[in-house]
Amino acid sequence: MRSHAHAAVCGLIVMSGAAMADQDDVILEVTGKIADGPATLDRAALQTLPSVTINTSTVVTDGVHAFSGVLMRDLLDSLNAQGDQVMAIALNEYAVGIPMSDFYDYDVIVASTMDGKALTRDGKGPLWIVYPRDDHEALQDIRYDYRWVWQLCRLDVR
Amino acid sequence: MRRRRSLWLILPLAAVLVFAVLLSFSLVRMFAVQNAMRVDAEKNMLWVFHQSDVAALRLTKTVALVELGEAAQDDLALWFDILSGRISLLNDGPQRRFVEKIGFGDDLDRLTDALVTIAPMIDGFTPEDGPRLRSALAPFTAVLGRAANASMIAEWDEFGGRLEVYRKQLHQNILSLIGIMVAGGILTVTLVLALRQSRVRNHMLRRERDFSGLLISSSGEGILAVDRAARCSLWNDAMAGMVGKTAEQVEGRRLSDVAGFFDIPPVRDGMAGALAGESSRLTLQPLFSGGRGTPLHVDLRFFPMRNDGVILGAILFMHDASDRHAAQQKDAEDRDRLEELVSERTRDLDSALRRERSAADLYHDFAAMVSHQFRTPLAVADSALQRLIRRGPRADAREMAERAGRARTAIAGLTRLVDSTLDAARLDAGQIGAHREECDLNEIMQIACKHQRDAAPDRRIETRQAPPGQATVFCDPALAEQILENLLSNADKYAVPETTLFVTLHGDGESLFCDVHNTANPIPSKDRARLFERNHRGSNSVGVAGTGIGLFMARTLARMQDGDVILLSDDDGVTFRMTLPRGREPQT
Repeated sequence: MRSHAHAAVCGLIVMSGAAMADQDDVILEVTGKIADGPATLDRAALQTLPSVTINTSTVVTDGVHAFSGVLMRDLLDSLNAQGDQVMAIALNEYAVGIPMSDFYDYDVIVASTMDGKALTRDGKGPLWIVYPRDDHEALQDIRYDYRWVWQLCRLDVR
Repeated sequence: MRRRRSLWLILPLAAVLVFAVLLSFSLVRMFAVQNAMRVDAEKNMLWVFHQSDVAALRLTKTVALVELGEAAQDDLALWFDILSGRISLLNDGPQRRFVEKIGFGDDLDRLTDALVTIAPMIDGFTPEDGPRLRSALAPFTAVLGRAANASMIAEWDEFGGRLEVYRKQLHQNILSLIGIMVAGGILTVTLVLALRQSRVRNHMLRRERDFSGLLISSSGEGILAVDRAARCSLWNDAMAGMVGKTAEQVEGRRLSDVAGFFDIPPVRDGMAGALAGESSRLTLQPLFSGGRGTPLHVDLRFFPMRNDGVILGAILFMHDASDRHAAQQKDAEDRDRLEELVSERTRDLDSALRRERSAADLYHDFAAMVSHQFRTPLAVADSALQRLIRRGPRADAREMAERAGRARTAIAGLTRLVDSTLDAARLDAGQIGAHREECDLNEIMQIACKHQRDAAPDRRIETRQAPPGQATVFCDPALAEQILENLLSNADKYAVPETTLFVTLHGDGESLFCDVHNTANPIPSKDRARLFERNHRGSNSVGVAGTGIGLFMARTLARMQDGDVILLSDDDGVTFRMTLPRGREPQT
């Protein structure tokens, strides 16, 4: 199934006719109370921030997985975000408000790979908000579980 | 009473047991509920199916819009990826298991396979593919709609069941809590009662302790207590007064260091005995303490101090019995004085009795004396008077005078003898003493010899006088004469017939000696020792007249005048010596 998804992505890339499309495509848009907003970020822009890996289980998968990406607070700091809440919006228009304090209380990341493989749009990609669930008992709660937004495409700082 | 006490013990124990069991049970139940809540609250499959259904519908709608030319190819690819992500999610572990549980496993596999056939149509979409693609997507909304329905029912069933389990568990917990409350109530009541009882007991104990303390401190008896190491732990005022040390000085110290009195063997042994569990007592032990010249006399009582059979120390009661000791001393003194008085009285009585006896003896002897001593002058007088009668008219005046004079001399001697004997008897009875004066022993000797010659004319008597002026002695002349007459009469009786008696007077610086010697067999040694005893008659006296009183009288009379009569050792006869002092002072 996953291999099919990859095939689909590859097909999409070939069809767009750009060899490095996956590096240059905008994968995250940040709007709201930031310094020079709205900002659009591609993979290369995200890779300028320090990479962080979290090993944790999730409520929708079995076992423990290694998620790599950038810390949400690093990302927001780099954009000089000033709000109390961040609205995370997925490709299917799923939207959830996350308090800014979460990112400073916990090492919440915007993961782009799981177990070393890039997250894709026909899976949970391209970006997945991952909490260090196994490290904090407080995070093993349904009220945190709905903040794990996959297929993330936009952040609105409010 | 005992049943009540055991109830008081059993009830709280049972309550504690019930309390612990119910609490453990409740805790286990609570943990179970907590765990169940945490795990089960994470599932929300209805939402997953709904989102998947929405993705399928949006994809179908996008297909129609693309056919109409109102949407782009990218929108189609986006919604296809979103639907693929949803199906992928449903195929992940937890979601897949739930799908199979509600019986949609095969349907999901079919949808997954359908995605593979749909993918090429999306990539190379042309408006002609529209109807085929929509019909290929039709099963998605149908399956996902039914799955959502089934999911809702399954989740509500599970939720209802879980609530029922929670309710049961909570119900059990409520019952447990009621049990815990009851047990806690019992425990609380027991505790309150125990506390009240304890307070009452403490109060009583404190009162008793205060009372004991008051008794100890106000006791006239000295009281001290020691611990097992014989260190002083209690020392009351009376003890301080007796020993002369205050409680502060002695508490915590060993008794042997406190005062020497506690180190004397009987006290030390008593204390050691009490520490070994033996009670004992000592009476009237002298207690010297600093600053007192005379000792107190104290009675001591030692007791072990026990608690539950274990010896904790010893206690010593010390009672000042000096008064009793003084009374005993006085009693003893009184008794001694009484005994002394009695013995003195007894001595007086004995002496009186002895005097009475000796008086009686003398009176008794007096008869013997009469027969023995008085016969001689009576015989002289009788013989002179018989001759005179026989001569009758033939006797001339000179002869009459001479014979009558001889009779009178004998009678005068007899009179003297009677006087002297009476005096001696009185003296012997302790009534009078000798009438001692300075007199010439030569004269006395001549008188005695003359009387002896008158009594026994056949016996020759040779005298040897002391030099003139050298014969003065201090004595009673009558007694001295009587002594010599006794010795002469004795010598005459026991002398060999036809032999001569020798009377020799001589002396030294202090005494005069008058030796009366007669020729005879020596006196056997067995008789010598008893020779001077009253009424003793020697073994050679058989057939010789006598009472055995002569030598006794001679010695008694001589000693009365600080003189003596002794038997001298002699080879050719028997010699008695009379000794009389020259001067007033007795010889020493």
